[in-house]
This record gives sequence, structure tokens and C-alpha cells, in this order.
Amino acid sequence: MGNPGGWKSLLTFFILALAWLAGFSSRLFAVIRFESIIHEFDPWFNYRATHHMVTHGFYNFLNWFDDRAWYPLGRIVGGTVYPGLMVTSGTIHAILNTLNIPIHIRDICVFLAPVFSGLTSLAVYFFTKEIWSAGAGLFAACFIAIVPGYISRSVAGSYDNEGIAIFALMFTYFLWIKAVKTGQIFWGICTALSYFYMVSAWGGYVFIINLIPLHVFVLLLMGRYSKRIFTAYTSFFIVGLILSMQIPFVGFQPIRTSEHMAAAGVFALLNAYSALKYVQSFVTKAEFRYIFIMSVGIAASVVFLTVVGLTWAGYIAPWSGRFYSLWDTGYAKIHIPIIASVSEHQPTTWVSFFFDLHILICAFPVGVWYCIKYVNDERVFVVLYAIFASYFAGVMVRLMLTLTPIVCVLAAIAFSKTMEIYLKDDSPKTNHRTSEKDQENKNERLYDKVGKAKKISDNKPKDDDTLGINIKSVIVIAMLMMLMLFAVHCTWVTSSAYSSPSIVLATYGHGGRNILDDFREAYFWLRHNTHDKARIMSWWDYGYQIAGMGNKTTLVDNNTWNNSHIALVGKAMSSNESAAYAIMRELDVNYVLVIFGGVIGYSGDDINKFLWMVRIAEGEHPKDIRESDYFTPQGEFRVDAAGSQTLLNCLMYKLSYYRFGQLQLDARTPPGFDRTRGVEIGNKNYELTHLEEAYTSEHWLVRIFRVKDLTNRQEILKPKKPIKKSYKKKPKKVSCEYRKCH
Amino acid sequence: MATASQLFSAFLLLLCFTVSESGYKKKEDSLGDKVSQLTEWNNKKSVIRLTGDKFRELVKTPPKNYSVIVMLTALQAKRQCSVCKQANEEYIIVANSWRYSQQFSNKLFFTMVDYDEGPEVFQSLKINTAPVFMHFPAKGKAKKGDTMDIHRVGFSAENVAKWVQERTDIQIRVFRPPNYSGTLALALLFSLIGGLLYLKRNNLEFLYNKTCWGIGALAVIFAMTSGQMWNHIRGPPLMHRNPQSGQMHYIHGSSQGQFIMETYIVMLLNTAVVVGFIIMNEAHNMKGDSRKKRILALVGLGCVAIFFSLLLSVFRSKYQGYPYSFLFK
Repeated sequence: MGNPGGWKSLLTFFILALAWLAGFSSRLFAVIRFESIIHEFDPWFNYRATHHMVTHGFYNFLNWFDDRAWYPLGRIVGGTVYPGLMVTSGTIHAILNTLNIPIHIRDICVFLAPVFSGLTSLAVYFFTKEIWSAGAGLFAACFIAIVPGYISRSVAGSYDNEGIAIFALMFTYFLWIKAVKTGQIFWGICTALSYFYMVSAWGGYVFIINLIPLHVFVLLLMGRYSKRIFTAYTSFFIVGLILSMQIPFVGFQPIRTSEHMAAAGVFALLNAYSALKYVQSFVTKAEFRYIFIMSVGIAASVVFLTVVGLTWAGYIAPWSGRFYSLWDTGYAKIHIPIIASVSEHQPTTWVSFFFDLHILICAFPVGVWYCIKYVNDERVFVVLYAIFASYFAGVMVRLMLTLTPIVCVLAAIAFSKTMEIYLKDDSPKTNHRTSEKDQENKNERLYDKVGKAKKISDNKPKDDDTLGINIKSVIVIAMLMMLMLFAVHCTWVTSSAYSSPSIVLATYGHGGRNILDDFREAYFWLRHNTHDKARIMSWWDYGYQIAGMGNKTTLVDNNTWNNSHIALVGKAMSSNESAAYAIMRELDVNYVLVIFGGVIGYSGDDINKFLWMVRIAEGEHPKDIRESDYFTPQGEFRVDAAGSQTLLNCLMYKLSYYRFGQLQLDARTPPGFDRTRGVEIGNKNYELTHLEEAYTSEHWLVRIFRVKDLTNRQEILKPKKPIKKSYKKKPKKVSCEYRKCH
Repeated sequence: MATASQLFSAFLLLLCFTVSESGYKKKEDSLGDKVSQLTEWNNKKSVIRLTGDKFRELVKTPPKNYSVIVMLTALQAKRQCSVCKQANEEYIIVANSWRYSQQFSNKLFFTMVDYDEGPEVFQSLKINTAPVFMHFPAKGKAKKGDTMDIHRVGFSAENVAKWVQERTDIQIRVFRPPNYSGTLALALLFSLIGGLLYLKRNNLEFLYNKTCWGIGALAVIFAMTSGQMWNHIRGPPLMHRNPQSGQMHYIHGSSQGQFIMETYIVMLLNTAVVVGFIIMNEAHNMKGDSRKKRILALVGLGCVAIFFSLLLSVFRSKYQGYPYSFLFK
């Protein structure tokens, strides 16, 4: 024990390394149970784009026009994607390759998010250390490493923007706190650089560019203006603004949309305020009062008028739909069904808060309490972050992700405060204690000298044996038990809820585990057995997977940028066969792919999603598609014999249940018994006229149908009349068909 | 010239029609009477109240060239139909929008029948619930979709107008009288705060009171983490009464939903844990003898442990198959 500082840093290093390791390994459930595979939907696009970038180079990637998506429109990928993710994994790939470590880009993509979770816990450690103390930082790093709210977006294989963006978010905030504390341009510029990385990685950067100005604004209101804040904010804002505009997808948005206006407004305000401060130093009080009122009035009206004028003239776009729905919570439901249809955009129940954060959700308000009690410049930031993030998380489930880091930080403050009190050895001899006290005093100096903070330092060193050793150990043990429960809960949640790749399904029966690999089976069939330029129509959920695994052209995909195109596909799916055929001919469709879960009881299939197709189609084609037609007169959605005739004859129904009526799955149920919906289907023996079955996977999960060509000539129904007459008519009909197909 | 000749031919056509229809003179008369009567009423009120007789005469009997939308309802206070009142308000909005719109004509009338003014109408239509929206087309019998499915689409004015458009091809742009109550409440709140600040301008100490701010911040956080926003958007019931046993359920059975009562319980539990935590930490700094401190510390710990395990068991009861519990099941 010669050098306590050395022990301390060794311990810190060791704990952080363990946190990284624990975070990394608890994200590997899916890889161990299944294989190293990309999950879900969006990751497949990211993977495909990364692969494209690695094989064709960065500049070709930026100029990539993807003709395999949104047929016949295509998609400009380089300009409509946040490239940070692809560049990150591409860089890692390049570095490893120059070190002669051959590794496939897919493995990098799969393991990127778990590796970055370790970096996130480092960033959270540094952040918390700046805010409170190193001990709280260690707690926070351990919490963020295993908390399910963050694991949900960063398991191995979930190769998505959020995986690296949370690291960028927390690192930017750490640098910002550092900039505020030191007031150095260096840290301001670092914040801007980290912000640039965040902008390149995730659309959630808007959260940063609104929260930091809000922090500055509140500091101004509290009368905490200082040169440090001025330096930090101006350097960050100017450099960050210019850098963020370098991302093609962001472009001129930072100076043209309402989401970014708060930052510019605060910039102007801060400059005006500091100018006033400067003027104040050489005028009298009365003069200053006059100048102050005049300038505030003028500045406020000028800013307000400019913003209103520019919005009116169309230079500043009003709030975009997704952001708008955060404030007016009923907005999306009425106006944008495609946003409302995504389950991630639903509000959050208390159960999911508890599920994702467990004990932290109860403990983190304590941290908020202490941050307010012992407030200083940077703790204002934490409190603001906590309040706004919890509001946003309440509105949208997916924004739980931005709440999670701050919950970890604040809960760590609460726990570390408790532990600091109750773990402290009160026996008055060791030199160990003096070092700890030193540190504490250092902390105390950072507190403001107002209110309660003084009191604590006053009555701390008084009586020594305040709480008995027994009580202390009881409390410490109880706390440790709760923390252990938290760790167990996290592992259980990760293992049971967040670790399924969703393209490979597993069922557990008495015969052990049964793997259902229908998705990949069907996509690989598409890849190998259809024409290179074949166009596949499916609902948009599967667009990225078809492109990624099947390497075929799709009509619509998960980048839902064109609502009318999606509505057209929805219309085809919900029309009857001949009407759908006309649409499919117009769209040059070769194959139709539907997901059908009736055989194995898979509930996320197309029939269960069908009402959204109808709704979205109805939004664009209210004359042809009416939602009410798909319900029974009693207002039920049912697929059995009592269901509505429109439903029983629409394309989606016919494709899903084609030949299903002849299949008897079980001796106890009638043939054509749908296990997902638990009913016998209503329309059994029918033939398809314009389509034919091309492929059905092993468990019927994916069904692919080929769209037939137009018949050579119109079929002549039994010629009753003399041949001569029909001879006259025939050329007319053929020519008509000819025109149709051109 | 061209337009003039077109006009002329149109006039001729009209003449032909009047001539050919003159045979139905009698029917025409009753039809004209009906239309003029309805129009006259409509000029007074946008929604025409019908009794049983009037309903039979104007809506059910055949010679008709107009569509009628009927709301069958029970507005009398003794019927205790609170939904009917809301539906009535929305319906009046639609009717007014139609009454004062550009395309207003005598092709479409909005009417209503109250149960206490015409119970026989309900009997003849075999209806035993209220409110019901029905459409009686100008020609032919009512079809399946002519009764609006309010269980599925609701009865907001926009949906009623949409349904009317589906049935009659007449588009009504719903014009809601603007609602100032929200703005007014906000203005009132701000003036109240402003007034308070003005009154206390000599003593603004409370603005620097950290406890106030702390409690405010925690209130926002507790409201959000207990799912009040979900309640605001989804509007769940306060609690559920089991129709068989009459037992009250405060906790929703599945993890997908929640009752308002339940969120309050969760909020209380959260608050109790936080208070326990703070007591536990503050016990150390309290003035007084060490006995008091020890008791406080133990009370704090008890609060944290007991209320947290209560929260855990509520969660367990909602989330099927959750294996862990603390202190008690």
C-alpha cells in the first residue's frame, strides 16, 4: 500500500475492463444460440450498404444510386443515409486488413455494437466523473454495460445506428461538460468534432443540438453566465454547425428547419448578453438600465420577426412529422398512419420502464434530487437531460434509449452516495481515510457555496461513531442484494427478450430445440432461382431482407420515404385478384412474397398486419379501398366463413391461404385450420388465375408466387356460334390486348 | 354562340322532363311539399327533430329525392346516456358544417329522433341501443353500410362526415368552432404566475429554494415513468370491474395495458422508494443523537426494500413468467 493513487487507478482500470467484458459477453446470447448473423430488418440494409462501401470504395458509396429498391423509382442511397455506421465498420475492416488480420465484413458488423457498448461505458464513466465523483462513475459504467434499455439496441447482430450513436451521444456530452468546466476552446472544438460523428451516425443528434442550447439558456436565466460558457458554446456552435452540414443527408437542414433554430437563437442571445455585459462595465447604472431595456426589446422583436418571416417565406421548414408528434401526441395517429403503424412509436407503459431499467428507475430520481440540492453549472445539464429524456421516453418507446444513459448516471450517483456514507470505515486511525477525505474535500470545492452544501462540510468531521457498524453493514448488504437482483434481472431480460435474431426462429418442444429457418431458405431460393432483375412485391417490412439476402429488386422497403408507392402495394394486396393483376402489370412485378404464419402459429405474419395495408391504401385511394369492407357487419376482422367477402377474396388472403384448405395439420382440427388465429379458414378451394405458386418454405412461413405473363391471346370460351363469326371478332380483341400491354 | 346553344338545348331537355313527368303530378306534389317543409325547418335549425309520425312520413315513405341522415338517440337526462351527449355535439358540428357550406342543397338532411319522442321508430328499426347513425338513401332500401359502425370508427365529426361522403358522395368539410379553452387556461396560468411573482417581488427567495425545484422536477419524472403519457394518449379506464363477481381490478392483467389507478399506485411506490433512499442518505447528516440517526437510517432502508419489492411483485403479476421476486412474492 505504498502508493494509494496507483492502487486506485489500477482498480479503476480493472473495474472498467470488467464492465466492458461483462457488457460484451451479455450481448452474445444470439450469437451463441444461433450463429453470427445480422438481425431483423434495418440492420440488413446497413449491412448491405457497408458491404457495398467496402467493395466499391467510399466515393462510390456516396454516389450510390440503388436501382434495386423502390422499383421503378430507385433510391439515392448516398444522400439519404447516415454514413457514420458504415464508415466506422469500414475503417475497422481496413485497419484489421492492413494488420494482416483477414476478417469478413459481416463479422465486424455483427460485433460492432457489443464492442461499442464498452466504449459507451467508458464515456459514461468520464461523464459521471465530471458530474459527481469517480466512484459514481464506476457505478454508472457498470450499470450502462448491462442495462436492458441499452442492450435492446446493441446485441450482437443488431447492426444499427443506435449501437454507435449512444456512445457518440454520451461522449459529446462528456466533452461539453468538460468545455463548460474549463472554458477552453480546445474542449469546445472537441465537442463539435464528437458532435460531427454523432450527426453522421444517427438522426437523434437533434437531441444534442437542442439540449445543449437549452442548458446554456437555463444557465443564463439562473444568472450563471460566465466567460467559460460563452467560449464553450460559441466555439461548439460555430464549428458544429459547419461540420454537421457536411453530411449529405443533413445538408442545409441545420439552417433551414425549425428543429435547429433553438441553437441559433441561443447563440444570438448569448452574444447579445455578453455584449451587454461588456457595455455595462463602462456606463452608469441608469444608462445601462435604459440600454438594457431598449436592446432586449429590439433584439427579441427582430429575432421573432425574422423567424416568422422566414418560416412564412418557406426558408425555414416547419417541424417534421416525427418531431411534431412528440409534442402533439395525437397528431401522428390522425395524419400519418405510417408512423402510427410502427410499434416503436407507441407511448410507453410503466411496465416497459420497469422492464428496461428495473431498480434504476426507482433510484434515479434520488440522483436528480441531489443534483438539484448541490447544484452547479454542469449538474443543471444533468437535471435538464433527465427531465426531457423522461418526457420523450414517455411519448415514444424507442426513445427509452436516450433516457437510459442518464438514468444510469443518476442512479449511480444515488448508489454511490449511499455507499460512500455506509461503507466508510469510521475507526479513526488509518491513513486510508485521510486520502478519501482529501478527495471529498476536492469535491466539496466544486459545489457552490450556497445553501446546504456548507452545512455538510460543517458537521461532517464532528462525532465519529454516528451509526453503528451493524446498521451500516445491514444497509450495505441490502443494497448489494438489490444490485445483484438488478444484475440477474438484466441477464434474464437480455436472454429472453432481446436476443432473438427474428429471421431465425426457434421453438422449444419435448424433442429439444427446433430451428425454423424459413426466411433464409426462401430468400436464398429467390437469390438462386429467379432472374437477376426479377422484381419482388412484398409488404415494406421485408424489403431490406429481400434486397440483403435475396439480392433482388424490391418495390417498397423499410425506408418508408414514399407513402403513395407503399399505398399502391397495399392496394394491390387488398384488391381482388384481377384488379391486383392490373396493378402488378403496371409495376412490372414478377414475384409476390407473403409471410404466412398459420401453419406454425407465428403471429407477426401478413394477415395480422393486413389492416395496416388496407388503412394505408385507403389513405391514398379512398375510392377503391374501404376499411369497412374488410370487417363483418358486427365490426370484426375474421378470416373464417363468417368473414367479409371482400377479405376472403382479396389477393393477400388468396396468396396466404392458397392450398391451405387441403392441409390437415392435426387429427383434432379440420383441414385448413389456421393456428395463429385459431379458426378454420372461410375460403378453401380456389385456384389462382393470374398467379402461380413458385415456392413455399418448409413451414409455409414464406410463400412466393410468380405473376404469370399475359396470355398469348384471349381464351375463346366454347365456340357455340359458327366459326366464321368468331373469326371476325378475334383480331379486334387481340389488338386490344396488344395495346394494353404496351 | 356555342354556350348559348348549349344552354338552349339544356333548357329543352329540362322542358322534356317536366312534360314527361307531369303524369306523376300527385306524387310530385307530395314530394315538393316534403322537400319544402324539410327545407323550411332546416333554415331554422341545422338538425331537424322528428317525431314518430314525421319520421314515417318524411323518411320512410317512398317518393323521395333526398337522402336523410338520422341520429337515433336518447338525450333526456333520465336516460343517463353520456355518450349520446358527446355524439350529439359532434353530430351538430357536422350538420352545421353542411348547413353553412357552399354546396348546401336540399339533397341531404340531418335529422334526429329522440327515444322519448318516438319510441316506435326504435321498435320499427329493431334498435335497442343509442346512439345510432343511419342513412336513408334517396332511392332503394338501406344497405349494410348505411348504419354507421361507431364501435369501430367512433363518432367524431370527421368520421361522421367521412361516412356521409361514403354513403351519399356529398363532401362535407367539417368546420369546428375553434376551442379557446386551452389557450385561455394557459393565459390564466401565466397571468397567475406573473401576478404571484409581482406580489412577491420584494421577496423572491422562494425562486432560489432548491427543495421547490427538486420536488417539481421529481414530479415530472414520476409522472412520466409511471406511464401518465400512455394514459393521456390511450385513455384507459380508471379501473376494471369484473362483471361476474363484481370485484374491482386495479391492476391490468397484461403487460401491454394499464389502468389509471394502477399508474397512481406505481407512482406512489416509486415516490416511496425515492423518499426512503433520501431518508437513508440524510440520516447521516441529521442533527441529534446517534439513536435517532440509526432509527432514521433503518426506516429509510425499510422504505426502499419494502416498497421496491412491492413494485416488483406488481410487475410480476403483470408480466407472466417473470421468475424473480424480493422479500415477498
